[in-house]
Parts: sequence; C-alpha cells; structure tokens
Amino acid sequence: MRIVVDRPRCEGHGLCEEAAPRLMHLDDDGELVLDREEIDEADAALANAAVRVCPVAALRIA
Amino acid sequence: MSGGAINRVVVVGNGIAGLTAADTLREAGFDGELTIVGDEPRPAYSRPALSKALLLDGDDVSSHELPPTGHGATELLGVRATALDLDRRLVSLDDGTALPYDRVVLATGSRARRLSSLSEELTLRGLDDALSLRGRLAATPSVIVVGGGPLGMEIASGCLAAGCQVTLVSQGVPLIVQLGPHLAGVFVRAALDQGLTIVETGSARLERREGSARVVLDEGAVREAEMIITAVGDVPNTEWLADTGLAPQGVIPVDSHGLVRPDVAAVGDLAAFPTPYGLRRIPLWSSAIEQAKVAARALVHGHDAPPLRFQPYFWTEQFGLSLKAVGYLPLEGEPTYIEGEPGGGPALMRWSHDDGAGVAAALNYRVAIPRLRRMSQAAA
Ligand SMILES: Cc1cc2nc3c(=O)[nH]c(=O)nc-3n(C[C@H](O)[C@H](O)[C@H](O)COP(=O)(O)OP(=O)(O)OC[C@H]3O[C@@H](n4cnc5c(N)ncnc54)[C@H](O)[C@@H]3O)c2cc1C
Ligand code: SF4
Repeated sequence: MRIVVDRPRCEGHGLCEEAAPRLMHLDDDGELVLDREEIDEADAALANAAVRVCPVAALRIA
Repeated sequence: MSGGAINRVVVVGNGIAGLTAADTLREAGFDGELTIVGDEPRPAYSRPALSKALLLDGDDVSSHELPPTGHGATELLGVRATALDLDRRLVSLDDGTALPYDRVVLATGSRARRLSSLSEELTLRGLDDALSLRGRLAATPSVIVVGGGPLGMEIASGCLAAGCQVTLVSQGVPLIVQLGPHLAGVFVRAALDQGLTIVETGSARLERREGSARVVLDEGAVREAEMIITAVGDVPNTEWLADTGLAPQGVIPVDSHGLVRPDVAAVGDLAAFPTPYGLRRIPLWSSAIEQAKVAARALVHGHDAPPLRFQPYFWTEQFGLSLKAVGYLPLEGEPTYIEGEPGGGPALMRWSHDDGAGVAAALNYRVAIPRLRRMSQAAA
C-alpha cells in the first residue's frame, strides 16, 4: 500500500506527522514529505491513523 | 481489570470521536463484535471543513469527506440512541431495539446552542447546515452573524468572501475570550480591512417583529438583515443519558483515561477530562481524536493503558489569515516573536503562562506541528 497526498488540499497541519512520524514529516517550508514510498503491513495501522487525523482529508491510502 | 470479558462493544455517535474510538479498539486488539450507532444518515465527516473550505470552495463540495473506514464495524446510521441501562448493559435505540454490550463508548458530541426557536435563526453544526448556508449565500443576502468566537468569525469571513454585506455581533471584542488580546487584535484588524462591520454588545437576543426576525442588542438597538446566523457555543448531546446520572451538568466527567467506569468511556465534545486547569471540556478536533485513542485502549487494557496527556492544538482560517496554536489558550500579554514581527505578517510567536507552561502560535506560517510543540515547551 501507498499513501497519496492531495497537494493542493494539504494545509500543512502536520497532525499526520504527529500520528506517524516514521512515515512522513513536514519540511522547513511546511511541505509534507512522505518518507516511505511503500507502506508494509507492520506500518499499516500507523498509516491509517495518519490518514484519519487529517482534518482536510488530504491523505488517502492507495 | 474489573470490566469482564469483552465480546461486544457499542460506540454511540459516529463523529470523529466515535470513529477514532472504533479504529483504536481494533488496533488495541479487540476483534469481537463492534457496532457504531449514529443518528446522521451518512459516514463521519470533517466538521472543521464545514466553516472553512466548504463555505468557500467554488464547486468543490468534498473538502469535508474522510477516507473510508477500516474497522469493519456494523454501522447503524440514521439511528438514535435513546437510553443507556448501565446495570443490564443495554443501549436502547429509537427503532425500538436494544444493543447489549460489554463495553460502550459514549461519543454523541454536541449541537449548536441556539438563542431562539425562530426558524430564521440559522446555525452551523452539520453537513446539511453547511450545504444550506452555501446555497443561500449564492444570492448574496445581507448577513448578521451573532457570536464573536472562532466559528462566528469563520462564518462571517466566508459570507464576506461570498460577496455579502456582513455584520458581526459580538459580546466584547471578537476572539478575545478564546485567543487573548494580541491575536484577537490581529484578526479584528484583518476583518475590518476586508469590510466586516463589528458591533459589540452585551448579550444579544433574537425576536420576530412584523413577520421578520431581527437581532436586539443589549441597549435595545435593533439590527436587521436578510439572513441571521448564530454561532454562540455548543451544547453536549447528553439528554439520552439523563437516567444514568453520568452527565450531572449535561457534561460527562471522565478520568484521565477517558473512562466513566471500567466498562464505559466518554470521548469528544461531550466529555470533561482532567487538564492542568481542572476538569475541562475541550470541544476541538484533535482533542476528540486524542481522547478517543486513549479511552479505547483503556477499555481494552484497563488503567495499564497510557493516560491522556493532551496538548491542545487549535487552528483557524479567516479573513485571509491562518493561525495554528499549540498549548492552552487564551493568551495574556504580548508574545515573543521567534520569526517575523508584529503587524499581522507571517510570524512564529511564543507566550508563557504564569505557571511556566508555554504556547506557540504560527500566523500565516507553514510549520510542522511537532516543531510548534517543541517551541511551546522550550523555556522562554
Ligand atoms: C462548523 C465547525 C467548525 C469547526 N472548526 C474546528 C476547527 O477549526 N478546529 C478544531 O479543532 N475544531 C473545530 N470544530 C470542532 C470539532 O469539529 C469538534 O470538536 C469535533 O467534531 C467533535 O467530534 P465528536 O465526535 O465529539 O462530536 P460530533 O462530531 O458532534 O459527533 C457526534 C455524532 O453523534 C451523533 N449523535 C448525537 N446524539 C446521538 C444519539 N442519541 N444517538 C446516535 N447518534 C447521536 C451526532 O449526530 C454526531 O454525528 C468545529 C466544529 C464545527 C461545528
Ligand atoms: S494532517 Fe493533512 S493537512 Fe496536515 S500536513 Fe498532514 S496531510 Fe497536510
């Protein structure tokens, strides 16, 4: 599975980073950077938590 | 642990708190029968989007949508819980049935507080409210918004952006209660620049005269507009729990694990949980999520699960400004500017409360929340 960011929608809340710091972070300009292309089973729950917490639904699992 | 075996969990309320509780129950290893009851006939959605992107974005009516769920619960949507029997462990529903449970999550959120029972008084709490507001704004009516909190200000901002003439009726300076004088000043200046009319008053009320509704200010002056929207706070949906004694003042007090008793959790806008400033209800998005995560784990693992260590996160978008703040609001006095300078431009700011706790805020400044948190904790 992969996480997909809808760039125009992302507002840089970074709540996703708080939920899954291993998988993503906001860079110094506040742009969301995905640190893993492929998410394995072990991190699936983390990925889901990150996707869920975004208040503008800018993330989805593909 | 004293709650007994867990085969069936019922989550009452299908907002972000109920949804997060359901997800977390699964993550915590609960693989039994999970049922979610929600009176809105649709999947959970993002309420914060309703007063922001959804009011503004041209043809986009999807900004409130949340990704599909993965908890595999039986979802009873469009169904209302009407009573809870703590002894027999039963949730009664308005379709006449009752759901037995081993653990129950109370997450029925809150609704808009109203100033009147007039049909002209519009409020914004649910998706239907937002869609109907959007529709009416298309005709650019004159608008009065009553309520100078973040929601009232966001609605006023959205109405202005839609091309309406907007008057905001506020008890004192808008946002001062929630944000403190410094940030309130920044937002009020931006609002006035964009053409908002602000009327300060004591308590306003609504009345109907000669067939149309109007707003009466405390000194008796009257304001009229084609549309009246109020945003004067929220009321927890706890009436259905009246017989249980769980919500003595309409709010459910919980412990630091979000539990009322070992088999009952209460999470989200209806719960008051321990904070450094006493038992408090913090009716915000990330508060609902954090409460739900902690409580769901405690339902499964008891008090061995980690307690809530909530650091409030607040954000708002209005009048061309976006604010993110980490820590307890409101903020007294002037901040230290870490980046930028006073005047409303992009800035990172920090305040210290008297007890040493810090708050960091970003104004029109993209910053990672973990970085803001670190800034809020750094010694001043
Ligand atoms: C317009 C608006 C803008 C907001 N903006 C922000 C923001 O910018 N930042 C922020 O942090 N927070 C914001 N909030 C607050 C945030 O949205 C709430 O704190 C959060 O949604 C609370 O979630 P909840 O699940 O506790 O309650 P709710 O979302 O209210 O969910 C409770 C659900 O339970 C249902 N229910 C009620 N009674 C029953 C019953 N008896 N039986 C079955 N179901 C029932 C309700 O219909 C509802 O669907 C905003 C709120 C609104 C309304
Ligand atoms: S939580 Fe959502 S808006 Fe915030 S950075 Fe993550 S994807 Fe972007």
